Amino acid sequence: MLLGIDVGGTHTDAVMIATNGIHAAAKVPTDHEDLLASVNAAIGEILRDVDPDAIRQINLSTTLTTNAIIEEKLEPVGMLVTGGPGIAPGHYTIGRHFHLLRGAIDHRGTEQEPLPDAELDAAVEACRAAGVRVFGAVTKFSPRNPVQEEQIVRRLQPDADFISIGHTLSGRLNFPRRVATAFYNSAVWRAYIDFIDAVETGVRKHGISARMDILKADGGTMPAAVSRTVPVQSILSGPAASIMGIVALCDIDEDAVILDIGGTTTDIAVFADGAPLVEPDGIAIGGHPTLVRAVITRSIGIGGDSEVVVENGDLRIGPRRRGPALACGGPVPTLIDAGNVTGTAQVGNPTASAAGFRELAAATGIDPEELARRAIARAMEQIRDAAHGLVTELNARPVYTIHELLTGKTLSPRQVYVMGGPAAVLAEPLAQAFGLPVTVPARHAVANAIGAALTRTTMEIELLADTERKELSIPNLDIRQKISFQFTLADAVAAGREHLLAFLRRQQIEDIDDDMIQVVEADSFNMISNYFTVGRNIRVSCQLKPSIRAAYREAVR
Amino acid sequence: MSTDHRRLGIIFFPAYDWAIDATHPEREERLLYTQDQLREEGIFDLPGISEHKPEVATAGMIERVHFCIPEVDAVTTPSHLIAAGGAVTAARLVMEKKVDRAFAMVRPPGHHAMKVVHGNRGFCSLNNEAVLVEYLREECGVRRIAIVDTDCHHGDGTQDIYWHDPEVLFISLHQDGRTIFPGTGFVRENGGPNAIGATVNIPLPPQTGDEGFLTVMERVVLPILEAFKPEIVINSAGQDNHYTDPITNMSFSAAGYARLNEMLNPHIAVLEGGYAIQGALPYTNLGICLAMAGHDFSAVREPDYDPERLRQSARVSEYIDTLCAQVMELHRRPPAPAGTPGEFAVRDKSIYYDTDGITEEQTERVLICRACAGLRIIETRASSFPLSICIEIPFAACRSCREAGEKHLREAKNSLRYRLIKLIDRPGKNVESFSDQDVSPRSKYFF
Ligand SMILES: [Zn+2]
Ligand SMILES: [Zn+2]
Repeated sequence: MLLGIDVGGTHTDAVMIATNGIHAAAKVPTDHEDLLASVNAAIGEILRDVDPDAIRQINLSTTLTTNAIIEEKLEPVGMLVTGGPGIAPGHYTIGRHFHLLRGAIDHRGTEQEPLPDAELDAAVEACRAAGVRVFGAVTKFSPRNPVQEEQIVRRLQPDADFISIGHTLSGRLNFPRRVATAFYNSAVWRAYIDFIDAVETGVRKHGISARMDILKADGGTMPAAVSRTVPVQSILSGPAASIMGIVALCDIDEDAVILDIGGTTTDIAVFADGAPLVEPDGIAIGGHPTLVRAVITRSIGIGGDSEVVVENGDLRIGPRRRGPALACGGPVPTLIDAGNVTGTAQVGNPTASAAGFRELAAATGIDPEELARRAIARAMEQIRDAAHGLVTELNARPVYTIHELLTGKTLSPRQVYVMGGPAAVLAEPLAQAFGLPVTVPARHAVANAIGAALTRTTMEIELLADTERKELSIPNLDIRQKISFQFTLADAVAAGREHLLAFLRRQQIEDIDDDMIQVVEADSFNMISNYFTVGRNIRVSCQLKPSIRAAYREAVR
Repeated sequence: MSTDHRRLGIIFFPAYDWAIDATHPEREERLLYTQDQLREEGIFDLPGISEHKPEVATAGMIERVHFCIPEVDAVTTPSHLIAAGGAVTAARLVMEKKVDRAFAMVRPPGHHAMKVVHGNRGFCSLNNEAVLVEYLREECGVRRIAIVDTDCHHGDGTQDIYWHDPEVLFISLHQDGRTIFPGTGFVRENGGPNAIGATVNIPLPPQTGDEGFLTVMERVVLPILEAFKPEIVINSAGQDNHYTDPITNMSFSAAGYARLNEMLNPHIAVLEGGYAIQGALPYTNLGICLAMAGHDFSAVREPDYDPERLRQSARVSEYIDTLCAQVMELHRRPPAPAGTPGEFAVRDKSIYYDTDGITEEQTERVLICRACAGLRIIETRASSFPLSICIEIPFAACRSCREAGEKHLREAKNSLRYRLIKLIDRPGKNVESFSDQDVSPRSKYFF
């Protein structure tokens, strides 16, 4: 059986899923001061109905790193960076212990200027004097040649509790993002390690010996052991867990809009041919763009508790929340109250809702029920416009070949899936606003925990083969090896798959087939010098996409 | 260093699946290392900088600029329509105020493509800048436009298209035509009889360095722009003046290109040539992007940049001093307009399409007119296509030039001499093409 735990902002949800159905579910309030207690409480609830030995796998989604960053509980990080020529260092300087060192590597990976040991020594000394124990080692073009990052790591190793090493975080090119990713990764590292240690101890105490994976923002998981070196990847995994829950609960194979309607906001995601879309570069953390990949979502300030206001005869919904609905003892009329008035909702005390809307309507001369209908319609149109805006933005994303430009896919949603508290109440008006069929999956209220339980490992690699230099590299797996001049694009694709599979096997990740690995990019460019081909520049990028454990899908439907 | 950031839209389209041929300089990976550099520097994350997809230029956008013989499809591939479309997208973003500045980093280039197109010359089939200029005039109501061509080769195509047009200022800085393709662009080429002074050529000696280029900017380009007062300035941004370029002989650097763009402050830049794809383009393109966006570019330099080694000689500096004085003298005291209004000025041209191996003989007649760019009639015969005639009633043509155009079209049809008769009627927003076999005209309206 699989145990999924989602430590969310308000509640911690857990579900226990076997191939024949959901065996247990738990919901406990999240204690922000003690996330560990929330996790233990949820596990305790689950174990009332389930034997700990039956648990084969635990997947955990936690807000720990998210909270650490929001609350600025960040450990000081010594950043040791070589930038070389290019954009002004102001664009990538981060933290109070940022040391920009001499040294430069160019786009082909040639070391153009060495990193002087004396400068490095001085920077390390300065960090030591300041009591800094965790570090980031990042150089420009390190995915092309990590030599200077390795030099920094060698110098730091005796003194460091932890070092985030740029090229191991991602093979993608973006130096300022690599710097910020390394910074946040190190800044949350200690808090994360302490938490994971405590969770693992708690789990063992409950008599569970199953392996544990951690959810990421891209809708997939990583082994807990791996997460100890990339804790930043555990950020913002909650929304992704919910989206993967929808994937588990529904049979989606078309372009679709996914809405998660909460009390104050609605999260919007878009699926292409049934698969969630992931940010190509990464999300921003603390205002800094990073290389942390995440499911693309947009948030709009409209939810069930959004206040309904009449201003100069005009209706306005949200973005403010003043409390729950009137029907639940709140201070002002909300969308939920509007639902009570139109009859689509039966929440709390409907007379309070009716009284509130009578008062609102008095100023307008419109019938209260009509006003409530209009309020809901207006709110749903705003959600629709935000979703259309996201689709337009995604369709405008650049492409780089004539083939893609002329024949590329255009997203065109055919279906809307809705989850969250007010989902059922708003389904009909959403269908009106979108002009599309709307589905509210039966178990959408625990979609987050189901998604957490059933989602699988994701991973991506970028491979570069340069037959002029006779070298192949996969930066985030720290692989560099010799190749022959005859090495081809097909060889490179095969090597990419092989190395990715080997890595997954080393992590004891089971049931990964070769055909689950998707080749996202495979290009071979001739390198010409004086009209002669001197080699090929081959680029392959492979990924294991977010997906749901197929054997358990029927269990949750 | 300027700190006021501008919103810069970059239309980056490397066309990774297109080449003239496998070892041609204009091949798939020309912008590959530029993309690596721009990504690694995080350019697209800088405040105000955005990336955009190019549109595909429509046949109508091309046909109001060029006489394609026999037709657009015969002389272009989708790559050309996307490069020209990218230039239009740059203009559209600026005119719709979505950005303040736009850079179309597209390929293939276009500045060697002339009014009449039989094929590809100097790697160009369609003139991307001209397609963009006519978009600005036809669809955005812009009237006065300046194109500053900083490619190392003379922009002979752009010069040919705007030779007679007093409202489009064309300034070209390039390596002296006596030492490089296409062998034109001398100081005395300063515009046709209806547009004297609206073409400015600055042929620079080989080994001109940053100092020389920036001197020319300060003493010639900026004062002439100041006097012309364009609504829109376009940089035809070739990067083959770079000291590492394999097919030219100049000593210009990435920092120099950035500084040039800071001084010029163009609304729109369109990539032209530049074939040092590893040693130059990643850095020149980075410098131009930062300069256009008003970001600090002081740390942009090539790995092998050595200002001492690249310093231009005293002889080159002296030569450029004299050259600047000569160009400004011609600008201040242009020759009186030649010819008599109502008569035709005639020029004969031999054109070689190096990529396609086509030779063309042209006789161009332009009606001398003080009120517009003048009716233009081109008789063309190429090794690939028999004698044909092209009639252009220009943008904002005066009434008598319009009437003359209609009369000459009738005469051409009646003469039975031409395999093709082509018409661009800008005031009538109409282009037509008649073949000698056609009984009825194939008419295309671009509006
Ligand atoms: Zn050129
Ligand atoms: Zn006229």
